[in-house]
Amino acid sequence: MSPKNKFFWWVIVSIGFVLIVFVAMAWLFWQPLPPDEKALLVQVFKANFGYLFTVAFLLFAVLGLTLDWFFRFYIIPLGQLADEASLMCSVNPGHRVNIDGGKDVIRLSRIINQNAERYQEIKNNIREKIERAKADVESEKNIFAGLLSELPEGVVICNARGRIILYNRQAKAVLGENDPDGLSEEPRECRQSDRYVGLGRTIYEILDKNLIEHALNEIHLKLERKSPNAASFFVMVSRNHSLIKVEAVPVLDHERIFSGFILIFRDITEKLQRDREVNNQLRSLTKNMRASVSSIRSAAELLLEYPGMEPEQRQSFYTIVHDEARSLSELLNNKWFDYSSFIKTQWPLVTVTTGDFIQGITRRAKETLGVTIDLLHCDCEESIKIDNYSLLLSMLFVLHHLKEEVHVDHFNCTLTRKEGYAVLDFGWRGEPIRLDALRNWENMILKVNEDMIPLTLKDVVGHHDAEIWTYSDREKNGFSYFRLSLPVHDIPASEQIRHLAILSESRPEFYDFDLFNQAGQTSELDNQPLSELTYTVFDTETTGLNPQGGDEIISIGAVRIVNGRILRDEKFDQLVNPQRELSWESIKFHQIQPEVLKGQPTIDQVLPAFRRFVGNTVLVAHNAAFDMRMLQMKEWTTGIRFINPVLDTLLLSAVVHPIHQSHNLESAAHRMGIKVVGRHTALGDAWTTAELFLKLIRLLANKGIYTLKEAREASQKTYYARLRY
Amino acid sequence: MPHKILVVEDEPNILIPIRFLLEKNGYEVMAVENGEAVMEALSAFAPDLVLLDIMLPQMDGFEVCQVIRNHPDWRDIKIAFLTAMGRDMDISKGMSMGGDAYITKPFSNAEVIECVKNLLSDEPQK
Repeated sequence: MSPKNKFFWWVIVSIGFVLIVFVAMAWLFWQPLPPDEKALLVQVFKANFGYLFTVAFLLFAVLGLTLDWFFRFYIIPLGQLADEASLMCSVNPGHRVNIDGGKDVIRLSRIINQNAERYQEIKNNIREKIERAKADVESEKNIFAGLLSELPEGVVICNARGRIILYNRQAKAVLGENDPDGLSEEPRECRQSDRYVGLGRTIYEILDKNLIEHALNEIHLKLERKSPNAASFFVMVSRNHSLIKVEAVPVLDHERIFSGFILIFRDITEKLQRDREVNNQLRSLTKNMRASVSSIRSAAELLLEYPGMEPEQRQSFYTIVHDEARSLSELLNNKWFDYSSFIKTQWPLVTVTTGDFIQGITRRAKETLGVTIDLLHCDCEESIKIDNYSLLLSMLFVLHHLKEEVHVDHFNCTLTRKEGYAVLDFGWRGEPIRLDALRNWENMILKVNEDMIPLTLKDVVGHHDAEIWTYSDREKNGFSYFRLSLPVHDIPASEQIRHLAILSESRPEFYDFDLFNQAGQTSELDNQPLSELTYTVFDTETTGLNPQGGDEIISIGAVRIVNGRILRDEKFDQLVNPQRELSWESIKFHQIQPEVLKGQPTIDQVLPAFRRFVGNTVLVAHNAAFDMRMLQMKEWTTGIRFINPVLDTLLLSAVVHPIHQSHNLESAAHRMGIKVVGRHTALGDAWTTAELFLKLIRLLANKGIYTLKEAREASQKTYYARLRY
Repeated sequence: MPHKILVVEDEPNILIPIRFLLEKNGYEVMAVENGEAVMEALSAFAPDLVLLDIMLPQMDGFEVCQVIRNHPDWRDIKIAFLTAMGRDMDISKGMSMGGDAYITKPFSNAEVIECVKNLLSDEPQK
């Protein structure tokens, strides 16, 4: 309630109370009087009405003035005193009470200020000690960060919910922006990818969800079995079409409970390409050598066996021997032989047992395709080297097409070791698949329902040095088979490289981050503590203050708050071409000249990028009703909707300081001891709003407001919530 | 009537000796250089045996084999692969797809003749 309203309520209640007492006493006095005395009293009252009325009026006036004085000098100052003392104790220790009021109030203010001085002295001493300790930790963190940034691999560390809590530049280059250093001259937002890599963001927005879930399922299965090698591997394609090998390593806490995972990204494109070339060359070499030797041997044997052959025939065999011998010499002089040492050892595949492999196929075929696989025989302990996800997806892809082609959803299956190969057969009663159909499948991109990798079946089969074909077994009366044959592999001891990371009970020396306890954001956002949510704090600059009247956004600035910290490196700052004239009044306000906006992207280009930047965070703005209205006006033309929860620092400021009249950004920031930089630029205001919001979270907690829901409900109750744009 | 053999081979330096060898051993030989020409030759020549290279232009040897095995008139024709693809996996693939023999290059003439004789020993001469 405003101070003015409070005062009027006081006056009305006090006067009402006095009137009630007076009337009650008059009635008690009047009742027992005999009629003649009552008549005498009425006569006296009438004769002196003027004097009595004047006395009553003066009495009420004195009462009113006393109340006003009391209210202005004691009641209101005490409320302000409480607010300002609260500020000094929480977000702005440098603030001092300076209030007009009664003598006692001023004395109380002086005492509070003296105590604040002493408190600040003590606090400064403690802060110095903390700063020294923090500097030490910071230095260790920098060593750790330097080490991480120099790694050739991209590294991303996520908590158990998949939120990113640490990443390096290489990972950003692989996963996100093409130009992480910002060297390009193209407007930043226009070249930004559809993947924003940043702290607090979920890895599922950046990588294919199926890939991560597959890796985590594999990790959990291995952990359940207490396997010493709990890492999982998969291959993905980066934005610039490089082939990336990803190693997912689980992180366990000291009680061996899964608390996160590390993703390590290695670009294997060049290596794979080189391996592929060498492999092709060696195959070609073998084939040509076999053919040449065969020709020579056959011709030589015929020359010896049939000495009496016709001279022309003899000459043709001599020519064959000569030509093929020369061709062999050329082959042997070729540099191909030099590459032989590279082959195969470089393939980025991981060793699994055939049992695990077929179990995975059986389970996923049932879940994904509704296909039942009856395993008739399995040599389940053989080791094969595979890329689990791509080969599993290949088999699902084949089963999916088999199901459509032969109209069967039940397959017999055998997995047998035949010499150096693991031979997997899927059998069904009916005709085999034609090889030309299989060749078509081989050249298709692997996609089964939602699972997809941009590789063909042929790529994956070739990558595993495997073969696929279909055939019919005439002895088994009309059964046909699809066969996958791939080499078995004996595990060398050196392959047990990286198993899992177990955190000790105390934190590792170079970490200071509370990496694994951050709350995630789910549908229970409303009940999450404000201090644990992830926010996008934003501001817009516009051509004017009338969204419905055609005013347009000319700039959007935003920063992110993760874990109670404003992230300096993760900001959104984009000018927007409004495609209309700017008024002189608005230019005076935001200082953005029309010519600066001419080459900038339009709002329909900027909003999708901003939507991706925002993700599923909570939106925060000062006077958010206006900014949200500006965004909503563009819903129809851009198709972009912002359905995130919204908090308004203007309303929250009014919640924590109801007695103060002004809650504009400058006043609120000044009260909280925040230095305002870049006022009336979208990014500058967003930054100030973010700092204000962090301080408000602490003050809201003092008022018993902890969760998003409570903050929103408190905002709605404030007077300012009635404002509409 | 001598047995008829269709040789499917795209390397002339292999084809010429093979053809000479088979003819000297009393077989009637026809040669084609790619998989697609096989179909016409099968109808026109009606061979008892096909000596089949795998790495052929257009249609490969495995596909040719599958076509022969799926055709009711040609199902009984013997097929011997004659190829430079010598991995166990290739041999397994060729045999499971309907091959009756698999000869890996380089081969000896005696090996080829022995294989041909074995495959045609049950076949009545036409």
